[in-house]
Amino acid sequence: MMLNWTRRKILASAAAMTLALGVPAIAQDNQEIVIGGSIPLTGVFGFAGVGIEAGMQDYIKILNEEGGIDGRKVRLSYEDTGYKVDTSVAVFNKLTSQDEIHLYYGDSTGFAKTINPELDRRGTMIMAGASFASELNDPAKFPAQFLAGPDYTEMVSILLEFIAKEKPGATIMLVNSDTEFGRDPIAKTKERASALGLEVVGEIITPPTAVDVSTEVLKLRRARPDYAIFHGYILAPLPEFMNQAKQLGLETKFMGTFWSMDSSIWADVGEAANGFMGVMPYRYYYDTEAAPMLDKIREMRPQYQSTAYTQGFLTAMLLTEAAKRTLAAGQELNAKNLKASLNTIKDFDTGGLIGVPISIPGNSIPVGRIYQYDAAAKQMKPASDWISVQE
Amino acid sequence: MSDELLFFTEVSLAGLGSGALLSITALAFVLIYKATRVINLAVSEILMLGGYLFFAAAAGFGLPAWIAIPLAIIGGGIVGAIVERGVIRPMLGESAISVFMVTVGLGSVLVGLAELTWGTDPRTLPEFMSNTPIFLGDVYLSPKIAIAMAVAAVVVPLFLLLFRFWRGGVALRATATDQAAAYSCGINVPGVFSLAWIIGCATAAGAGILLGAIGGISPAMGVFGLSALVVVIVGGLDSVAGALIGGLVIGLVEALAGTYLGGEFKMVTTFGILIVALMIRPYGLFGTTEIERL
Repeated sequence: MMLNWTRRKILASAAAMTLALGVPAIAQDNQEIVIGGSIPLTGVFGFAGVGIEAGMQDYIKILNEEGGIDGRKVRLSYEDTGYKVDTSVAVFNKLTSQDEIHLYYGDSTGFAKTINPELDRRGTMIMAGASFASELNDPAKFPAQFLAGPDYTEMVSILLEFIAKEKPGATIMLVNSDTEFGRDPIAKTKERASALGLEVVGEIITPPTAVDVSTEVLKLRRARPDYAIFHGYILAPLPEFMNQAKQLGLETKFMGTFWSMDSSIWADVGEAANGFMGVMPYRYYYDTEAAPMLDKIREMRPQYQSTAYTQGFLTAMLLTEAAKRTLAAGQELNAKNLKASLNTIKDFDTGGLIGVPISIPGNSIPVGRIYQYDAAAKQMKPASDWISVQE
Repeated sequence: MSDELLFFTEVSLAGLGSGALLSITALAFVLIYKATRVINLAVSEILMLGGYLFFAAAAGFGLPAWIAIPLAIIGGGIVGAIVERGVIRPMLGESAISVFMVTVGLGSVLVGLAELTWGTDPRTLPEFMSNTPIFLGDVYLSPKIAIAMAVAAVVVPLFLLLFRFWRGGVALRATATDQAAAYSCGINVPGVFSLAWIIGCATAAGAGILLGAIGGISPAMGVFGLSALVVVIVGGLDSVAGALIGGLVIGLVEALAGTYLGGEFKMVTTFGILIVALMIRPYGLFGTTEIERL
């Protein structure tokens, strides 16, 4: 049968099929609001990407069940980036050529910085993502971007506020990985610490490939700080640090920032993890305080969901909230209007995902809370009230 | 002992311990290169796989460490055998760069398999090493690092002796020197290739267990292998002793640089040594002069 087909017939059929498939797609585009996503489902940040995607999808599902935005359904269109900037950019180009996209999720600081001129040039979308880099918290330089939480400097500031209250005049050691992520808050932390009457007694920088931290622990023992603040890590080498510090009889309290704070990664560390503290901008899946949105999540997913999930969920909530407010004002969905709408968010209720009403006057949400790991319960327990470092 | 001297001694010992870990990983590169003239970049990922196999046996099946460790090492060996027989042997006679690229691809496949099987979360291995601190006089040594040193102290000399005195070891050296001559002497050259891959990958898997016990495991932990590759290039791609000495030297220098100059100087110093070593002895400190460079 195929043999009887002439080239012209084949071309004509192909064209007809393209039209048949393409026309509804175009029609659909007018209906749907598409959130694009360069999401790291594999690679060093894969553990986070899987949760982020699930969280975004769940929020979108809830939103669509409630009728979407102004009657328009929302869809997440994403691809795996392997946490590589060039792949993230390729995914961005691919997705934005397939759909009309006004909301985007990016996977890294590198990507956020690389794509920023393109976002400005297009002027059609706003973006948030997995990076909490302090540099992005600048509405003048990054007008089309925002962070769904405090930036890294603000996170450490929240820790410092807590320390200053718990132990005035405490000594602190900063431990950072030798990466852009790790070095982010160092300079500002020192300033902030001295303003709060705390003393930074040293800095330990570890190479990104470091596994053994024996020499760094020796430095810690020499300084004997009251607190050690780790930033730029997920899990390793924190457990080994804590193990060896315990062996040496140090009484230093260990603290971390958002990406080290998921309780599932600490679950199999065991007793050594007990007492680890850190800053968390969101409530945990198992928090018992009233949070209607968490109830909904627990209903949808009876198993524990990571903090990355909550981050994805909340980011989708804020992105779509900006779109909702823009459309409600009868404005066009573009970067300027979307960002202006986002900035109108004031005393906004996240359904309890963040324990206090939030406002986004700039590019970040500078609130968080100190949680402490309880090894027996395998859970992070609140160790402070919600702390805001809004200036 | 004055405080400063005590600190210096502790840092040096810790550095030598880290170096021992590097040496064991480097050994896996050397064993395979020495016999087959293949730079197996997938050693890094076999190391990762070793950590995961131990994790599967010890945490998944709840086996005690003394069974899980040999199982993971044997598992590494089996992977080595499959890879050699299925992928590398059909490449015999191809250019070195082709085989090298195959091992690069193999590494990606192994990372993908680990991510599919165990997910992408970083994990911690069940504790199987003593947590009692070791004090040599006043000098503190982390127990895990002490174990790594002890393993290196046993394994590296063992391989040196095997290469010198064991018939299989001699066959390995003979094959490395001249394949045709080895064939004509009745040596089973393909068998030797398999043997080298099995032993090399088993060693890498063993290093993965040690490494995982210290730093935890994740599909990305193979990057450690790159540090070991530096050791191999400095020490000489085909020298077992070079792997040991190269590892110890780099571990020590990294520790001292990290302590007295700052952590950001660790990598700078390592690669500085690499450049200087390549300028002075391009075939490595203990390598054979005519070895091929990629």
